[in-house]
Amino acid sequence: MTSTADTHAAASGPSLDWDLIRRKTKSYFAHGLVLLLVAIMLLPLFYMVMMSFKTSTEIANDPLGLPASLYWGNYMEALSSMGYARSVLNSMGITVSVILVVVLAGAMAAYPLARLQNRVSRIIVMIMALGLATPNFVTITPIYVIFRDLGLLDSCLGIVLAFAALKLPLAVFFYTGFIAAIPVELEEAARLDNCNNWQVFWHVIRPLLAPVTATLSLFVMIMVWNDFIYPLLLLTDKDKLTVMIAVYKFVGNTGIDPTKLFPAAVLGSLPLLVMFAVFQRKIMAGATAGAVK
Amino acid sequence: MRARNSLYIFTIPALAVLTLFFIHPIILTADMSFTSFKGIGAAEPVGWKNYDRIVSRDRYLDAIWITLWYTVIVVTALTITGMFFAAVLHRLPAIRNFSRAALYTPAMMSFVVVGYIWQFLYSPLNGGINVALRDLGLGAWEQNWLGNPDLALYSVAFTQIWMFTGFTCAIFLAGFAGIPEEIGEAGKLEGATSWQRFRYLELPLLGPSITVSVILTTIGTLKTFELPFILTNGGPDGATRMLSIEIINNLFGQYKFGFASALSIVMLIIVLAVSFIQNKVLRDRENVT
Amino acid sequence: MIRTFFTTSALAFVLAGTAQAQTVLDVVAWKGNEAEPAGLPELIEKFEAANPDIDVELTYVARKDVDKVIPPRLQSGNPPDVTMVDSSLVELWGGAGFLKDLSTESDWYGNMIPAVQNVMTTDGKIMVFPLEVIGMGNFVNMDLLAQAGIDKAPVTIDELTAACQALSAEGIAPMIFAGTFPAMLFVGANGIDPANNTSAKFGMGEMSFVEDANFNASLDGVRDLVAAECFDPELQAGLDPWATAPQEFKSGNVAILPQGAWNIGGFSSVDGLNYQFAPMPSSFTEYGLALDLVGPGWAIPTEAANAEAARKWVDFFAEEENLNVFLEAEGAYSPFMGGKATMPDLATPYTEAREKGSLILWPFSTLEFPKPLQSEWEDSITGFLLDIDQPNETTLQRWDDTIEDNL
Repeated sequence: MTSTADTHAAASGPSLDWDLIRRKTKSYFAHGLVLLLVAIMLLPLFYMVMMSFKTSTEIANDPLGLPASLYWGNYMEALSSMGYARSVLNSMGITVSVILVVVLAGAMAAYPLARLQNRVSRIIVMIMALGLATPNFVTITPIYVIFRDLGLLDSCLGIVLAFAALKLPLAVFFYTGFIAAIPVELEEAARLDNCNNWQVFWHVIRPLLAPVTATLSLFVMIMVWNDFIYPLLLLTDKDKLTVMIAVYKFVGNTGIDPTKLFPAAVLGSLPLLVMFAVFQRKIMAGATAGAVK
Repeated sequence: MRARNSLYIFTIPALAVLTLFFIHPIILTADMSFTSFKGIGAAEPVGWKNYDRIVSRDRYLDAIWITLWYTVIVVTALTITGMFFAAVLHRLPAIRNFSRAALYTPAMMSFVVVGYIWQFLYSPLNGGINVALRDLGLGAWEQNWLGNPDLALYSVAFTQIWMFTGFTCAIFLAGFAGIPEEIGEAGKLEGATSWQRFRYLELPLLGPSITVSVILTTIGTLKTFELPFILTNGGPDGATRMLSIEIINNLFGQYKFGFASALSIVMLIIVLAVSFIQNKVLRDRENVT
Repeated sequence: MIRTFFTTSALAFVLAGTAQAQTVLDVVAWKGNEAEPAGLPELIEKFEAANPDIDVELTYVARKDVDKVIPPRLQSGNPPDVTMVDSSLVELWGGAGFLKDLSTESDWYGNMIPAVQNVMTTDGKIMVFPLEVIGMGNFVNMDLLAQAGIDKAPVTIDELTAACQALSAEGIAPMIFAGTFPAMLFVGANGIDPANNTSAKFGMGEMSFVEDANFNASLDGVRDLVAAECFDPELQAGLDPWATAPQEFKSGNVAILPQGAWNIGGFSSVDGLNYQFAPMPSSFTEYGLALDLVGPGWAIPTEAANAEAARKWVDFFAEEENLNVFLEAEGAYSPFMGGKATMPDLATPYTEAREKGSLILWPFSTLEFPKPLQSEWEDSITGFLLDIDQPNETTLQRWDDTIEDNL
């Protein structure tokens, strides 16, 4: 579309070239301005990274200045005692499994709720809303008891289930809104081709959910990655510990020491950021492809 | 029609999980709210005493007001900032993905980490913000960010807004992605300015994402306790004492599980009521526009 | 008895051959992590060497999360074998029957400092093995004091106000006084007379704070500190006593920080920080008042799966040389009589006050002051600092109301 405008402008003589230059400048300016705003938003994180490379004397004397040199000592200490690599793998495995469960169960439940507007739907939506509105600490003891009875304590399956359960209402809520916006005509065509409910869901609805799924996966990923109360409660085996437990143990919480807090914070979040970068590109590709069709 | 009702089979996995993990605990909590349970051991029934205490004390009514006001500030600001970035980034595809990811990074940190970073930034003596203001020659603007009772709530809110702007921005961008491109192009051909296209063409179509974003941020903010807990723990002298802080302190500081359960039920009712009203209002608006 | 039983069962294991797995001792504690090792890694190694059939699995759970994570395990009959507890957890969990009686017949029981013994014993039962008594007082940066021409950590109110004036004249921030903890130490030290400690009576509502001359004088004492330019009261409300305040002290930005001795390890790791740990100046004493906090201990849950191994763990700590490793790493005093001094020289002023008997047990750690009063102190003292000219009654009445409410 811009290309047609450009050729049009070029063909109409030199006076419009100025217009082009003006628009180009304006565009560079807009890009620059937005990037600047984004950079300002990131300042506190920059502060965190900077602090993580300072010795405690530097933090003390010059809290804002750049570190004189990159002091890796804080990281060395953190890495040597956190059991880092193992816990990162555990967290990733748990996170990905939870996303799969939440996305599938959530989208499935949302489909009828978005399509059927009656008393049953309203009741189910109410139940979902109840789940969404429940403060987390209310569910701690019952979950522990249920898991003990089911023999799910200290198992990866258990922790995945617990997290999935906690995020499911969010997923249902999310998908219901978006499925409702999908034109019913799309499914009706498929139904005329004798597709059953499942086939309609799988082949018509599911592919359209890509952009929402991307956003939802992000939310789930973050919550699962950062929560430490449930792993603390449900896992005791050291080989199954998650990254945030490692961070938590390393930092402690009486008397926060910046030389421990900041490097551990960076290490704890880094894999998530990397995973996010990878995921974002992949899912976004799917999303745009879906939009074109 | 019967074929369509059979769609409900799809909700079974989710419903089973919800009953086990939410309905059951909520019933237990409701049950406990009529006792003087201490979190462990036997529970003595006390009737409506816990609820009576909540409605008869200014302390708890204040906490409810602070919670609601905090939520209004945070949700309004998040909707505006998220919408601003989403609308701008929608027009700048070259930097869209990068900026979206960058804006999202604060929301990817754990609350504990964010809380402590800002604790160090807000510190009144040599905190990052005050030192920066001093270095920029704006020393007069230095504030006791978390220590001034008139300011503390807004400082905490600011941190929450900073953290979740990327979250609402992501929701709105997903909404923008769902708008057929032809609509924008038609607007352009008719010479509509960027603002006009946003106001008259895009905004009306963003209804569903606004609903999702507002309701999610509202629920999240009403329930939030991590940031106020770490930044001020309800202080100074109760200025940021939200319902959730009150629950946590009763639950784990003083072992008044029965009373904390009653507070949780009150909170649950507030969250449900607010989201119900919002849902109704926002959905109605979606249908009108 | 237990020992014989254990030897027998150990023998049985040997006879049974090599198929028998190790006992895994599940220990939960809010110390022993990287930030506060408390000598536990070293002690675990020693314990395992002495008991080759036991593997210790230490899980770190921060104190505030213990309240969330452990009760579900206790209630569902799947508790850890040993768990760290403090006085309020002993009251709560022990009171509900979830902790084993370690028996007042134990060798170490009779040897406990009487006051600690008194606090930790409930209904003739001792459900905790106490690990430490830890001091709270002023951390004093001696280099900053020297700049103001002072070479002794202040231990009387007069010395403190003089130090504040001198420091402030030099442009040095004299003191941190955040209402949520440091200020509480001063208010407590000047409100509770060590010669006539009536904390328990306040806690039971038999005495009223509003009518108490000592606590009224204590709040007046805070105003005197403000008048001596010790601190800007309004600024204190914005400081977190657990995160930013210790950092200010480590940075050498402030001369005096009221805090607990558990910071000694962290502060001593800062190069060039020359400090002492001194008792809190108090109008009741010329030596300064040592505020001892009754620290945590080990408890064995009733339904512990490996109760014998757990008992071995507790008995291991009852041996003085082992406990001293813990105490030295903590910067704490032994809860037992005749304990060897493990405190570093920099805590000499505090230790001296203790030896002179100028000492109280912190009433919140002995439960003489109920839990809700603690958060009310945090709030109301912050409120007092924000509006320093309000009548004392405004603050003190809130304490009385909290006590009454809690009865």
